[in-house]
Amino acid sequence: MAGGAARAGMVLRAVAALAAPAGAADAAYGEYLAAECSTCHLRSGDFKGIPSIVGLPEADFIAALRAYRDRSRENVVMQTIAKSLSDADMAALAAYYHRLGTKR
Amino acid sequence: MTLNRRTFTTGVLAGAGALAAGFPRFSIAQAKAKVVVIGGGAGGATAARYIARDLAEKIEVTLVEPSRAFTTCFFSNLYVGGFRSFDSITHTYAKVGAGGVALAHDMASAIDRAKREVTLAGGQRLAYDRLVVSPGIDLKWDSVPGWSEAAAAVMPHAWTPGAQTRLLRAKLDAVKDGETIVMTVPNNPYRCPPGPYERVSMFAWQLKSTGRTKTKIVVIDAKAAFSKQAVFQEGWEKHYPGMVVWMDPKMHGGLKAVDPAAMTVTTDLETIKAGMVNVIPAQWAGKIARDAGLANESGYCPINPESMASTVDPNVFVIGDACVPGDMPKSAFSANSQAKVAALAVRGALAGQQVFPARYANTCWSLIAAGDDIKIGGRYEAKDGKITALDTFVSKPGEEAALRMQNYEESLGWYAGITADMFG
Repeated sequence: MAGGAARAGMVLRAVAALAAPAGAADAAYGEYLAAECSTCHLRSGDFKGIPSIVGLPEADFIAALRAYRDRSRENVVMQTIAKSLSDADMAALAAYYHRLGTKR
Repeated sequence: MTLNRRTFTTGVLAGAGALAAGFPRFSIAQAKAKVVVIGGGAGGATAARYIARDLAEKIEVTLVEPSRAFTTCFFSNLYVGGFRSFDSITHTYAKVGAGGVALAHDMASAIDRAKREVTLAGGQRLAYDRLVVSPGIDLKWDSVPGWSEAAAAVMPHAWTPGAQTRLLRAKLDAVKDGETIVMTVPNNPYRCPPGPYERVSMFAWQLKSTGRTKTKIVVIDAKAAFSKQAVFQEGWEKHYPGMVVWMDPKMHGGLKAVDPAAMTVTTDLETIKAGMVNVIPAQWAGKIARDAGLANESGYCPINPESMASTVDPNVFVIGDACVPGDMPKSAFSANSQAKVAALAVRGALAGQQVFPARYANTCWSLIAAGDDIKIGGRYEAKDGKITALDTFVSKPGEEAALRMQNYEESLGWYAGITADMFG
């Protein structure tokens, strides 16, 4: 039952993720959070009125989100979103969008 | 031997419980799991694509949508105002199909929840393991005395997209300077809370741009207050002084009837002779959802805020305007957000994908005049048995022109983003 063992590991990881999403810049978690971004930020990386976030250096990505969270950077939509994100969430998103940039 | 993921988890905790008991609930594999999505708008198109993404070998997704070219209701006011072409708000499903979603361009005529089967108007039957219902709203044709489906050819609603939107624009173009335009607006809840008031703004923009500033737009509202009211009213005074007359129920005493032959609107106070009438009627969930027993006495479908699953059938998810969305408005943004929560729940149930807590967001932008755009929005979570607002924001009177212009640019970016999310 190799499949069962693999799946058991997956379940344990999922439980751990639920208990502490802080876990790591986990791909599935990043993808889940990123679904919220793609309503406005094009996954193609194109700019059509809202800045691209695809392929940004992770440090810049995190710095921008933190600035929205502490309201030192203006934009009420982004301030509201960033308020709901922990440092670990921001890291997961930064890793996800950086990876998305390297895939293109 | 492979595993049947359908029986594997209906949620992470159920799976963990089975493991703890030392007896994982695996069984022999059967065919691919089947998902049917009814409705190809902001909810359904998004859900179909997100469920299918990278899972073609495990889940077969069929999107049921009669239209081959879908015109969005959102931004249709900008077509009326002359800011967008009709083509620019019309989209095809070509990339949805290319993305691993099977397309059934037909109307869903019935849902048999006991048999887990959807029947299409053409007779085709689609079995499902999970069903996503996203039919949007139906109009209540009898909610305005004197008005009807036939009368909508004379007094358009333009509250579902397509031909009615073009008709509304044609009627607006035919209004002579000095004639009165009347809009009737229903009570909450209805699709797109700020929509009527953005539309009033776009009427006024067209009239002003074509020198018809003696025309008045009278709004007969069933509500005493409306979304973004302070900034809308400030904008109307600034851009269109004297052209917009908004009346709450205390001012008009109630909408009594419309007469499409005489082109009149009668309230408790007066009968108004109009050059154009836009009736926005009361609404409820699309018929397919109501017929399937998914709606409650409100006419909309209650859902579990953790997953968007129907409270009456855990195998059915109701998203978008047809659901009871708690604190969220009935908007395309909300539908898109809800679709992602439902998609993750479906992937969790049918493909063992990790399921994380539901996150919801919404923003509604409204254009008052060129470069003057306002917004309202918030983020939401499952709390207290409903989708509950945690943080909200709304544009304020007196904001700088640069900020309003930035809102407009942002709304264009959002349109590009959400339509790419829906249609690829």
